[in-house]
Amino acid sequence: MLKIENLHVKLEDEPREILKGLSLNVKAGEVHAIMGPNGSGKSTLSYVLSGRDGYEVTEGAVAFKGEDLLAMDPNTRAAKGVFLAFQYPIEIPGVATMQFLKVALNSQRKARGEKELSIPDFMRFVKERAAKLNISQEMLKRPVNVGFSGGEKKRAEILQMAVLEPSLCILDETDSGLDIDALKVVADGVNALRSPDRAMIVITHYQRLLDYIVPDFVHVLSAGKIVKSGGKELAHELEANGYAEFVEKVA
Amino acid sequence: MNIALTKTPAEEAFGIALPNRRMEEWRWTDLRARIDRPYPAHQNTVAAKTDVDRLIASSPFAKIKTHRIIFVNGSLDQARSNFTGLTFEMGVPTSSAMDDPLIHLNGAIEPAGLTLRFESNMDVLVEIMHITTKGAARSMALRNCIEVADGASATIIETYLGEGDYVLSSVMEFEIGVGARLDRVKVEHESATATHLSHVVTSMAKDAKLNEFTLTSGGALNRQNGTYTFLGENADAKIAGAYLLNSKQHADTRLVIDHAVPHCTSREVFKCVMDDHARGIFQGKVIVRKHAQKTDGKQSSHALLLSENAEFDAKPELEIYADDVVCGHGATAGDINHDHLFYLQSRGIPEAEAKSLLIGAFVGEAFDGIVNDTMREAMVTFAENWLGQR
Repeated sequence: MLKIENLHVKLEDEPREILKGLSLNVKAGEVHAIMGPNGSGKSTLSYVLSGRDGYEVTEGAVAFKGEDLLAMDPNTRAAKGVFLAFQYPIEIPGVATMQFLKVALNSQRKARGEKELSIPDFMRFVKERAAKLNISQEMLKRPVNVGFSGGEKKRAEILQMAVLEPSLCILDETDSGLDIDALKVVADGVNALRSPDRAMIVITHYQRLLDYIVPDFVHVLSAGKIVKSGGKELAHELEANGYAEFVEKVA
Repeated sequence: MNIALTKTPAEEAFGIALPNRRMEEWRWTDLRARIDRPYPAHQNTVAAKTDVDRLIASSPFAKIKTHRIIFVNGSLDQARSNFTGLTFEMGVPTSSAMDDPLIHLNGAIEPAGLTLRFESNMDVLVEIMHITTKGAARSMALRNCIEVADGASATIIETYLGEGDYVLSSVMEFEIGVGARLDRVKVEHESATATHLSHVVTSMAKDAKLNEFTLTSGGALNRQNGTYTFLGENADAKIAGAYLLNSKQHADTRLVIDHAVPHCTSREVFKCVMDDHARGIFQGKVIVRKHAQKTDGKQSSHALLLSENAEFDAKPELEIYADDVVCGHGATAGDINHDHLFYLQSRGIPEAEAKSLLIGAFVGEAFDGIVNDTMREAMVTFAENWLGQR
């Protein structure tokens, strides 16, 4: 589904390279965890995949379902099935959550040549998914993420994911700022979306999240490169030994 | 200091001097320089029925049931107006003697107008419309007075629509009685080549409530003055406004809120969207007199600049003589927030649509001041159409 080959990325207005030859192959149905110390390039990877401004790809390629992902607008990527759950979800005053979800879903359907959902169908569709994530009707009426607690913001991200039904979910530090109960709700929401047609990239600093969202593969990202890959047991190793080994290796 | 200037052709035609940029309140809007040709009054332009009908139908409130009082080319159109159940008196009110250039100009053009009096809580929306049809360059003036008696309430809509090159001057006086309530919505959607000059004089008695919203979207040149005076305690004024401007449109609003008595509240919220070479100005002055303790006055003006050539100027002025008050002001100007835009795009919303959504959300905060749901929705639709034409 996703094939990243020798990806080199730098900031648009700085010479410093952040990703230095990252390669990764993700197939449908797989859950990949990317772990790494701060500053290793985890968030940059998520932004480059979702199409945020400010980054320049100097080398390498990213193919998504066989197409050149890097050539697409962020909205085209979304319509093709890429979804980024933000580490820090953005507050958008004045745009009601329900309206936002409706415009987003219908924009994607339109881009794919599908029929837009009728309002009653859409409402039913969202309410069902919101209930599973303990998201109240009142929250849906509020502007996007405005005044939401940290946990509410993360649940709202997962709700968007559940509504938009992407084929590739990128979760950027979804566990940050969550207590254990909130983490369980979010993880349950994510696990409910696991399917043979859907792939996930779970970016995290800590192993804790991976107790709840159990990955098929774990990769260690350090200084812009994947320096080690393994199964889920690698996460436990990292938890025990820390990242020191990898940081030193690069230095 | 009065510096004698040679009269311009426009000043000759009006018979009075126009304000110019040497006057502090007019520094951004030099009417003397901008009104660069004569606009004679009383041209008695014959209006074609189809033109009038078309313009009436173009009102954002066309589908809302209102009692319409319709002025066409500066004169009351009795036949088209509906006065059923209204208490009114024909003729221009003379009460306002304020020394203000726009009120002088209004007098010089010899306005048409009437006084409407609301004695109780009438469940009707009264819409005062001014329609200008195509014709020779000319000036027209209206002066109306709305009295809301003690304990009464009223909803007044003003719509200004037109075609062609003209100067329209409108003076409105609002007297809100003890415990009375006024909801006012004004839509300025004049012709793209027109000049709209207005002055609103509002007084509020004890426990009076004002909810006001002004949309400024038409005209080449727009100047709107407002004077709001608190005459009795515990009165409350909420004044909101929105600009939707493009091409070379110029809109300048100057409001003066006079807290002459204690315990009154005023809120001003202006949300201004400027595209292309448009220029928006907001000047808000709040005066708190010596005895007006416990005054709560807040003012904010925010601009969204959609083009590098658009401009916004804000000038808050606070003149506070009392020592136990809460007053504040804030002004911001910026372009669309890129983080917001990326977030929406990352969910599949194309850039143009995402921008419309964000602009609509920005300006929508000013619409929240409109009490009547149907009217608020009409304003949202108007904004959507405006955005759709970008």
